[in-house]
This record gives sequence, C-alpha cells and structure tokens, in this order.
Amino acid sequence: MTVTVSASGLTLRYGATRALDDVSLRLTPGVTGLLGPNGAGKTTLLRVLATAVPADSGAFTVLGRDPGTARGRQEVRRALGYLPQTPGFHPDFTPFEFVDYVAILKELTDRAGRHREVRRVLAEVGLGEVRGKRIRKLSGGMRQRVALAAALVGDPGFLVLDEPTVGLDPEQRLRFRELIAEAGEGRTVLLSTHQTEDVAMLCHRVLVMADGRIRFDGTPAELAARAAGRVWSSTARDAGAKAGWRTGTGAFRNVGDPPEGADLLEPTLEDGYLLALDDEHAEVTA
Amino acid sequence: MYRLRRPWTAPSTAAAALVRPVWRGLPWRVWGVAQGAGTLAAGLIRVCGGGPLPALVLLRAAVLAGALGLAFLLDDPARHTTATVPVRRVVRTALRVALVAPVVAVWWTAVLLLVPGSVRPPVWDITLEAGTASVLALAAATVAVRRTDEPEPGRSVATALLAGAVLAPLLLPARWALFVAPGDPGWAAAHERWAWVLAGAAALWAVSLREPRRRRTVRAPLRSAFRSVFRSPCGTSGLSRTC
Amino acid sequence: MTATRTERTAPVAVSTGTRNGRAAVVALAGFEARRLLLRLPVLLALAGHVTWIVWRTLRPADDFPVLQDADRATQSGPLFVGLAVMLCANQAALRSLRRDTERHFAVTSLTLWRRTAAHVLSVVPLALLTAVAVTAQFTWEAAKPGAVGRGSVAELLAGPLTVLLFGTAGVLLARLNSSAVAGPLLVVAFLLLFVGSASQSGGQDTGPVWLWPVVVTSGVHPFPSDLLGRPAGWHALYLAGLALTVALLAVLVSGGRTRTVQAALAGALALAALGGVMQTGGIPAATDTARSRASLAPEQDQTCVRRGASHYCAFPEWTPRVEDWARIADRVQGLAGGAAHDRPLLVRQRLEARYGLSDDAALDPATRPDQVTVGTSWGGDRVPEFSTAVAGVLVAGNERRAGELCDGRMVPLMWLSLAWQRDPESALRHVRLDDSVTGSALVLSGTEPLTMTAGQTKVVRALLHRPLADVGARVKAHWDELTAPGVTTARAAELLGVRVSVGGDRCTG
Repeated sequence: MTVTVSASGLTLRYGATRALDDVSLRLTPGVTGLLGPNGAGKTTLLRVLATAVPADSGAFTVLGRDPGTARGRQEVRRALGYLPQTPGFHPDFTPFEFVDYVAILKELTDRAGRHREVRRVLAEVGLGEVRGKRIRKLSGGMRQRVALAAALVGDPGFLVLDEPTVGLDPEQRLRFRELIAEAGEGRTVLLSTHQTEDVAMLCHRVLVMADGRIRFDGTPAELAARAAGRVWSSTARDAGAKAGWRTGTGAFRNVGDPPEGADLLEPTLEDGYLLALDDEHAEVTA
Repeated sequence: MYRLRRPWTAPSTAAAALVRPVWRGLPWRVWGVAQGAGTLAAGLIRVCGGGPLPALVLLRAAVLAGALGLAFLLDDPARHTTATVPVRRVVRTALRVALVAPVVAVWWTAVLLLVPGSVRPPVWDITLEAGTASVLALAAATVAVRRTDEPEPGRSVATALLAGAVLAPLLLPARWALFVAPGDPGWAAAHERWAWVLAGAAALWAVSLREPRRRRTVRAPLRSAFRSVFRSPCGTSGLSRTC
Repeated sequence: MTATRTERTAPVAVSTGTRNGRAAVVALAGFEARRLLLRLPVLLALAGHVTWIVWRTLRPADDFPVLQDADRATQSGPLFVGLAVMLCANQAALRSLRRDTERHFAVTSLTLWRRTAAHVLSVVPLALLTAVAVTAQFTWEAAKPGAVGRGSVAELLAGPLTVLLFGTAGVLLARLNSSAVAGPLLVVAFLLLFVGSASQSGGQDTGPVWLWPVVVTSGVHPFPSDLLGRPAGWHALYLAGLALTVALLAVLVSGGRTRTVQAALAGALALAALGGVMQTGGIPAATDTARSRASLAPEQDQTCVRRGASHYCAFPEWTPRVEDWARIADRVQGLAGGAAHDRPLLVRQRLEARYGLSDDAALDPATRPDQVTVGTSWGGDRVPEFSTAVAGVLVAGNERRAGELCDGRMVPLMWLSLAWQRDPESALRHVRLDDSVTGSALVLSGTEPLTMTAGQTKVVRALLHRPLADVGARVKAHWDELTAPGVTTARAAELLGVRVSVGGDRCTG
C-alpha cells in the first residue's frame, strides 16, 4: 500500500522529559488510530506531524513533501487538516464564518469556490442547518463538529485528529465515527483517542504509544490477538492478573498471565492495548 | 475516605480559605500593564513639568488607565466551574475587591506623590474622580458578569469604559460637565456631580452583585412557550447559555 | 523499530483550486475588514463622524466656507474613527490568542506574518471609508453657493491617513504585547497625545508640531491658499510613510523577515523621514514675503471690479464674493442721504497675515477716505459688521474717524447699518460685543470697534421700531446736520422725531 506519511527517529525533549523518543512510523491511506495513556506523547507526535512544533531530531515526509524546509512545510500545511485537542472557537463567528476563515487560512482564495466548499463540509458534518447561528449558541457536540469541519475544509490529504470524540455523548460519537470513516476514504487520517472502541470500529491500523515510544504498530485484530490466551474468567480476583475487574455477571475478568487450566475468554482490543502498555519492550509487528 | 465533619462551612471561613487561591487567580499581568501605564503618565508630569492643566490631564489619564485595569477584575477563566459552588458570587466578588483595594490604594498614593505639589490638583477631589472611575469599572464588570455568560468580559468592559471616557467630555452639556479644569469656577459643582456618579455607580454595583434568580430577557411562561416551539441545541458538554 | 527509510512515498494531489498565499492574504484582509467594520466601537465612531459632519456643515456660520480652510477642517473628525479602528484592529489581531485558535491556525499555510499583513490591510477599507466621508464633507462645503477658494488634496488625505496610521499601530501593538489592556491603554495615550493636543496646538503652526498626525491650527481669518504655508503635501507623505513603517514593522515582528519586507520597511522609513524633515522646516521665505505683501500692500495681489459707482478689490480667490458685498453696500448706501447716497466707495479686502494662521489681531482701520475694509471671512456676524463698516465710512468719511465717533452721528450710523436687515434688533445684539440691546457697548466692525452709549442705543432701538420709510425720509432730510461733527445724540433724536431722555455723550465705556 502507498505510504503517505513516513517518519523516522523523531525525538523531542521538554526539559528532562522525552516527549518523543526515537519515533518512527509509516502511515497509509485510511484511518490509523493512536492509543496511549495521558502523557504518552500522542499530542506531541500529532503536533510534530502537523508541523506545529519541529522535532529536536529525526525527519518525516507528508505526501512526499519534506517539512524540514520552509517551502516543504508550506506544502505540507496546504495538504493538512488539523483538529487540535480542545479546539478554540471564535464565539462571535457563525460556523460558516469560522470555517470560511480557516479556509482562507488554507489559501482557498476563490470566493465562490471557497463558499461552496465551506457549505459542503458543513453539510457533511451535519451543520448545514445552523451554519448562520453564532458559535456561542451551539452545544458542545456541535462546536466539535465545527472544529472537524474546519479540519476537513479544503479536502486535505492528511488529517490529524487529536481526541475528537472527547466529551461527546454516545449518539454524537457514533455520528463522529461515521464522519471520520468517510474522511478516511482516500485520505490518510491519524486519530488520537482514548476510546479503544473508536479504534476497533474505525481503524485499519493502530499505534500504541507510551513514554514517548511506539509500543505497538499493527492492525486492531493483531493488537487484540496479542491478548489471545491471556484473558480469563475467575470467581475471585486473580493475584497473577495485570488487570482484573468484576463484570456485571459477578465473575472477574482478568488480563495477564493466566494460571493453569484457566477459563479463557475471547480477547478484545482493549485487552491487547492494556497488555501492550504493560510490556516492557516495544514491539512493532507491522 | 474523607468525610465532611459538617455539611457546610460558614461563609466567613470559606472566604478566609479562599483568600490565597483568589489572590493567585487575580489578573495581575493586566494590572501590571495598566498601573505601569498610569504610573508612567504621572511620571511624565514630574519629568516634563508643565502647569496644573497638563498635570490634571495626565492624572486623569492615569485614573483611566487604572480603571481600565480594574475592568478585568472579575475575569475568571474558571467561571463555569466556580459558578455553581455554594460560596456565593457576592462573597467571591467582594473578596476580589478586598484583595485588590489595598494594592490600588498604594498605587494611587504613589501616583499622587509622583505629581509635584505645585501642580497637584486638590487631592480629595481627584481621588473622588479616581474612586468614581474605579467603582464604575467594577460596576460595569459586575453587570457584564451578571448579564452574560462570558468568563472573561474584561475586554468588552474596558472598551465600554473607554468609549464612555472619550464620549463624556464631548457629549455632556456644560451644566453637567465632569471634566473641568483646575481653577474653573465650576470645579466644586463638578465634583458634587462626581460624587453623585460615584453613588449611582456604587448602587448599580451593589444591585448587580446578586446572582440572577431567573433569566432576564424572557419571562418564565413565555420562555417555556418559546422552548416548546424552538428547540434550542443545548445540553451537552458545551458552555451553552441557552439551557 | 522496523520502520524502513527507503519507502516509496506517493504525492497525493491537493484539490480545490490553486492556492496562492498573496491572494489568501487579500481574502483574509477582506474578511477582517468586514468584521472590523461591524464592530460596535467602529460603527459608533463612524456614525459619530457622519453626525459631526452634518452638524458642522449645516451651521449657518458655515454658509460661506473658504475651501482652503474647509479642507483641513475635515481632519479632526477622523481622529476618533482612528482610535476606534486602533482598538478593534488590536483586538482582532489578538483574537486567535484570546480564543485559543492559534494552535490550529499556526499549522495552516498562512503563516503569522501573512495573517498580520492581512490585519494591517484590513484597516485600508476603513481608511477609504473615512476618505469617502471626508470627500463628502468637503464636496458639500464646495457645493455651497457661498464657497470660495480651493482645497488641497494633501489636506484631505490627512484624516484617512491618520485612520490608517492608528489602525496599523493597533496591529503592531498586538504583536508587541498580547495583553488585553494594552490596546485600551494605547487609545488613552493617543487620545491624550494627539486628540488633546490637536485642539491645544493653537499657538504653533510650524516646526515639531507637524510631527503630530493632525495639525489643525484653527485660524480666525482665512488666508489665500498661497499664503497658508502649511506643508500639507510633505505631511501627507510623512503620515503615509509612518503608517507604512508601522505596518511593515508589525509584519516584521510577526516573523516576516523577507528581503522584500525589509527593503519596503527601509523605503517607508525613508519616506517618513523625508516628509518629517521637510514639513518641519518652517515657513518658506517666499511665503513670508507674500504674507507681508498681502498684509501691507494688498493692492499688488488683488483684483478689482466695479459695481455701480463703487470699486471692490479682493484677493483673486474671493472675487465671487463681491456680489454679496456690493448688495449690502448698496442697501446701506441707499438709506444714506446727501452726498453719501451716491459717493463712490472703495471696498478693499484686507488681511493681517504676517503673524501666522492662528493670529487673530484686529486690522488697523483704513485712513483713506471712502475706503471700506472687508475681511476674508463672511457669513454670520461678519455681514452686520461689514454693514456697520460701510455705514461708518458713509457717516464719518473714513474708518479711523468712524472708530473715534462719540457723538450723535452714531445714531444714523447704526440705523444705516441695521435698518435694512431682516431682523434689525437681533442684528444689533449680534454686532454688540456683549450681545446686549440696552446700555452702552462696543460695536464690532471689520477693523476697530465703535462705541455706543446707552442713550444712542435707546434712540437706535426706538428708530428700529418705527417704519423704515418714515425714518428713512427724516434721515435723508436732515443728513447734513445728522452727520455734522459735534451733533449731540439728543439733537439727533430730536431731528429723527424720537422722544427719549438720552443723557450726555460720553464714550469712556
């Protein structure tokens, strides 16, 4: 498959903390999930790939352009859609004005064409009806959709989404999944999230980050498969489990190294994720 | 597990406990800039000399700078978090004012001392002007907090205050003049008017301190009727003010 | 890590038309300009400006504008528009920081310095709008039937350029200090420096005062255009250079350190410096000479025309006003009797230009017989004042003697001056220094003031209350006695059939 984003040896330090520690990755068209606990370096990686901050060392290319040069960075930015974590808004703007503003910043200068494009993305995220209302009057979910529309405007080839589903209710999350899945058709989407279900539903690939390093790089099925034979049920909390909790049935679900003869369960992506985080050594399978 | 010994805390105790966090949360940077500019204006009087009129104009500019700084007093980025705590808004606002009052008083004394005695306008009269401007700024900020849902209304309040300061000398008829020159026969009468404005601003401030019990714009029955007709898009995690 | 470094990377075409940074800056400037225009402070300032223009231009005192003064009268209104634009442009440039959208906007292809350039450019439409308002104000003045003289484009440019300068200063400040209070404080500083001083720069019209954006120097007497000595052209260049410098500095501190920007900044600085130096050079020697000549020997510059028996000499720009003067002189002379009725007068326009625009010294009265002085202003109280001057010359022979009158001749003089007017009593009030209609008072004229005693005031008022034809007949019948030196007020009253007690003629005040 065509590699659209490729990075090698990305390192970024904040004082003594290594936010990124020799990160290398390759992204292909479709949605790639980025999982990891808080402070794992997900947002930093996204900001580096979105050209918001330069890395201390390492290099990457986006859609064949090298953001290491001024011209290359400019070209990458022209092909980029970015939805930052907790995006800001201009509350006095309407969704149309705000997305139009971002479209201008993305150098869409033909007025009629730009307005068509803004209307298209607003309709795509389901805000066609309220596009003339001030953003201060919109609900949190609608505002998040405005931010997604701002990321989508200009038909970017590379879409960087930093926890776009935080704070959304289940219905809105489903709607967002649809939108992101649609966005992933033909585009490269890098989606940072805490929701393993989002990754399971949306992503053809998943990266797991912890302590500034990539701990896992593979398909969601592969991540889940890592937990095969390592999830079991028991009647009491199992001392050998790395994680365990009582489920609604009253039985305990344990993840870790099972005892002999344990009642093994079907693993989920989340189990694989927990184990990937817990593994001492990074493992990139893809 | 931590248990509360009493179901609530006396307001005075809560206020005392709040002193430190409120002190830390005050917009000091804005005041630094505003009071710095005011001090600079007063310093100009000393450096450049000039008669009582330029001194008064510069002092009034210092007053305005200080008042513009105070317009940001109630700016609170965490407003939506603190809006629903049991310590009432009046206590929180009063605490902010109480904390900032000594700082402003020291600054104003320094500004007055910077002005050479020979050109200094009557201290109590110019202090009355300064006090009125400050209370007006506070009242405007309190009204903005009461009427809007904006966590940081300071910018709009400062703009309104500035517009008032520009327009008042231009538009006020001579018999209501506030900005009179030193030695003008109307000085005493003008300062009587300043005192009235101060009283009005203080009354407005006091009235606006209370948290509104209901939305101001639409009466309750009308509002419910509106709600049923126009479903407003509210109710998720946003800062929607319509619900 | 298994990431390979020899991947085949495929470029993906970016759709939605061509992308052009410069066009995007212009588009963003348009967007920002629209928002700027809709901000409440700007709307209020524009509405205030328009109201001020309408109020100012509709004043009756402004019915006879002199266009080389009307042009610079357009300059103080835009100061307030400039302050509002400065505040709002500052807030607009800080919007993305305040609303935390900078994180997003920072990774768009329009970099910060280009966005700053757009903010700076967004001020231009406001400056253009101000230019429209200023042009409308001036055109309105120029279209008045009583307008004379000619305006200067450079003077008209000062207002719009001030708006541009203030707006760009707001953007520059946003890039230097992101505090929300900095903008309002800059407004206070500018208000103090430029608006406060614009009204107080009275005494000075040369030298460093020209470094301020607006130098109004509101003179009392309009000057002919070539005697103005205002370096308006250099000042416009200075303002334009300054606005450009500030705008380019804002772009530069936002990271736009390209060669073009640096070269343009150097050019703008050079323009501002050139304009700044040239405008502060003072009044050119030629202008000084011309001012002296116009003050001492105006006949060398004036054009004379004949209307009836009289001659009217005016500076070339004022010749359209001769008809107004002739009409009034004819009315006054028509009421006079004796030889004065047909005596040829010389109405000469005079001006004291040697002490600068802001000087308001009165002219010396003319000593030449039958010469009447008329100033460069017209309309309002200048009309009855001229009427008094004509009557003074008709009664006393020349202006100097009219100024020294202290006897009954004041009665026919004032009656001639006032009787033909539509509301004589109101005109009497207006020509008297203390706006009174009883008691003694100074009466203003184009040159030295005249003195009316309480008795003369009583008689004149009594005459004004009687039919014009009746009094006119008596004035003509007794003209020689009424205008003979030494005639008492009591005698004049008696001749004119007024019975009031008038007391003695004492003109000490």
